[in-house]
Amino acid sequence: MSNNEKKLKQVGQNNQDLYSVTVSPHMSEYRSVKSVMWNVVFALLPALIVGIYLFGMRALLLTVYGVIAAVLCEALIQKLRKQPITVNDGSAVITGMLVAFNFHAAAPWWIPVLGSIFAIAIGKHVFGGLGHNPMNPALLGRVFLVASFPTYTAAGWIPTLRNSISGITSNMDIPAVTDLVSSATPLAVIKSLRDPSFVNNINEAFPNASQILMDEAASLPTIQNLFWGNIGGCIGEVSAAALLLGALWLAWKRIIEWRIPTFFILTVFVLTFIFGGIDGLFSASILLPFFHIFAGGLMLGALYMATDMVTSPLTKKGRIVFGIGCGFMTVVIRFVGGYPEGVTFAILLMNLIVPLIDKHTRPKPFGFVPDK
Amino acid sequence: MSLIKEMTKGFFKENPVFVMALGLCPALAVSSSIENAIGMGGAATFVLLCSNILISLLKNLIPSKIRIPCYIVVIASFVTIVDMTMNAYLFELHKNLGIFIPLIVVNCVILGRAEAFAGRNNVVKSIFDGIGMGIGFTLALVAVAFFRELLGAGQLLGVNVMPANYQPILIAILAPGAFLTLGLLLGLMNLLKKPEAD
Amino acid sequence: MSYYIRLGLILFLIAAVASAVLAFINGLTEPIIIENQIQLEIQARQVVLPQADTFEYVEDELPYYRGLDEDGNIVGYTFMAVGSGYSGDIDTMVGLTDEMIVSNIQVIQQTETPGLGANCTRPEFTEQYQDLDAEQVKIERDGGKVETITGATITARAVSNSISEAMIQMKKQLEAAPKINIEPDIEEAA
Repeated sequence: MSNNEKKLKQVGQNNQDLYSVTVSPHMSEYRSVKSVMWNVVFALLPALIVGIYLFGMRALLLTVYGVIAAVLCEALIQKLRKQPITVNDGSAVITGMLVAFNFHAAAPWWIPVLGSIFAIAIGKHVFGGLGHNPMNPALLGRVFLVASFPTYTAAGWIPTLRNSISGITSNMDIPAVTDLVSSATPLAVIKSLRDPSFVNNINEAFPNASQILMDEAASLPTIQNLFWGNIGGCIGEVSAAALLLGALWLAWKRIIEWRIPTFFILTVFVLTFIFGGIDGLFSASILLPFFHIFAGGLMLGALYMATDMVTSPLTKKGRIVFGIGCGFMTVVIRFVGGYPEGVTFAILLMNLIVPLIDKHTRPKPFGFVPDK
Repeated sequence: MSLIKEMTKGFFKENPVFVMALGLCPALAVSSSIENAIGMGGAATFVLLCSNILISLLKNLIPSKIRIPCYIVVIASFVTIVDMTMNAYLFELHKNLGIFIPLIVVNCVILGRAEAFAGRNNVVKSIFDGIGMGIGFTLALVAVAFFRELLGAGQLLGVNVMPANYQPILIAILAPGAFLTLGLLLGLMNLLKKPEAD
Repeated sequence: MSYYIRLGLILFLIAAVASAVLAFINGLTEPIIIENQIQLEIQARQVVLPQADTFEYVEDELPYYRGLDEDGNIVGYTFMAVGSGYSGDIDTMVGLTDEMIVSNIQVIQQTETPGLGANCTRPEFTEQYQDLDAEQVKIERDGGKVETITGATITARAVSNSISEAMIQMKKQLEAAPKINIEPDIEEAA
């Protein structure tokens, strides 16, 4: 670096506000990383409050562990990398919160801690810190934990303080079914209905049991449970209502834009309506798509993780493609894959092709004539 | 003195895995336990040493136009010998390493040393180079396997070393763990090599 | 032209020498390798059917071994059950008593996820199968008696279903060809 460049860099740092010139369009509104991040934290609070209400103080405790671990890890790494320490911008707080939100409240204390550390260290700083990470750090933290400690993350769901785990009430008196609806999450129940050996087993015990269970799952009371969050599940994902409330705040503040979540949710809605039934195409009741969009991590993923500014496309068309891709992958994994829930992997896979999406959806400059 | 240097350069300065980034496939696939890493490293070192000796002896006989097929024949023969011998006398280890023994044939470290060193230097130098590179390759495999086995199984060389309530980080012994560990170790090596680089 | 012939000859020479060396070493090691493999299978058979003293191969749709005690009486059967697991086939050696009840099983070959499905080789899992019949060899969720491995239902189900199917097949085979070889002297003649 020549002397001149050094000087320029110093001047730039000292007078960032005065001398930095960004590319056009020059927007009049000044919005800092900090204000965006703290607004997202604020928007996540309703979901946290519902989590505490449903699962008790342990939900709060795990979230706090996750946040503390993320913030300390970020500060430590920035110190080691001799960078300015920017933990008060709130981005590490969000990562910590989202990691904790992705686990059930009976998880041991080190689950959110390890997840947050992995998310910050490997998911973010290995790539160069905030703004350089190709994939959502919180989701990477979740995948790390799911792959590493399946016994803690995939099993051991606890009922809420107020309702059963699946939120589904079955009137059939088959041990296999009562077991399932009392111990599995809503999506795991639906997944079991796609498993031929399980279906054969319950249909032998009770005629047409699989269809009855499907109808019981896609019934109005179940969907109400799912919407308000009266079910077992991960701390932050259970209540679609609370997540929507926070997202409305962010949309009003113009922090998240509508295309990604809308097309994400819409795609899931349409595909689950077409393929969701267990009796061929279009055999699902119209309630089943509602079941699918309120169950699992879809709301949390579509509203807060797929919309992450760093890892989503820049162009409007690109965001539509991104949303549809996320929805498609989610449904494919939920219906055909090995896991009951596919939102995490769907978003991470789509994160990886964001540069491609951006490249192919770049808007044409006005009056542009392509080379012949 | 320079012979020793020919050997030690493979340990760190020109480490085949961490510096030249050769032989990454076995470094990823066979590093889930130290035992496998040592077995793989030993087998590869043996093949490397033998092929280096033979190729440096034959280098004046082999016309340069057909040197690559000749090298491959030599290497493949030694690999097959190792494969058959291990299958006969080290049956358990052979079962664990499985397909990766035959794949030593396409291990770039060995063909790379044949092409870059043994084909241009005398036998004595090639012996030291082969030993050094082989040990460097083994060290790299053991380094990756050390972390993967320790974190992913709570064991070292098959012996439990972590406290009884330690929860193994399973991802470390799965395929992604291999990429993560190798990547982080590569980064660490770069950091140690040029601490002031920026 | 002669130059290229020379190239070909050199390559041929090297390949010929290599083949000769390999053939020689193969001659040395092959008997030991075959012996190793046979020992491995014998050991596995003895683990799953310890009552038997010797084993006798029977060719059928599902090939199996007949386990004989010291006096040459049939005490059980061993066969290989193959099921498709989470990431590839799982080969399980099954030992069956004379009454079509599982004596013991051993997972011989599997490529399941370490720490999850790979736990199917552990005695905690395999010992559950002892003394079950073809109906009971199913995971609990499918109405059987086998407890699944945490986080690896697919593996447990693959193992159970492959064993159950193989047991049913064995039953069919034995009914079609009744125990003609119960007399020791006929067996020797066979």
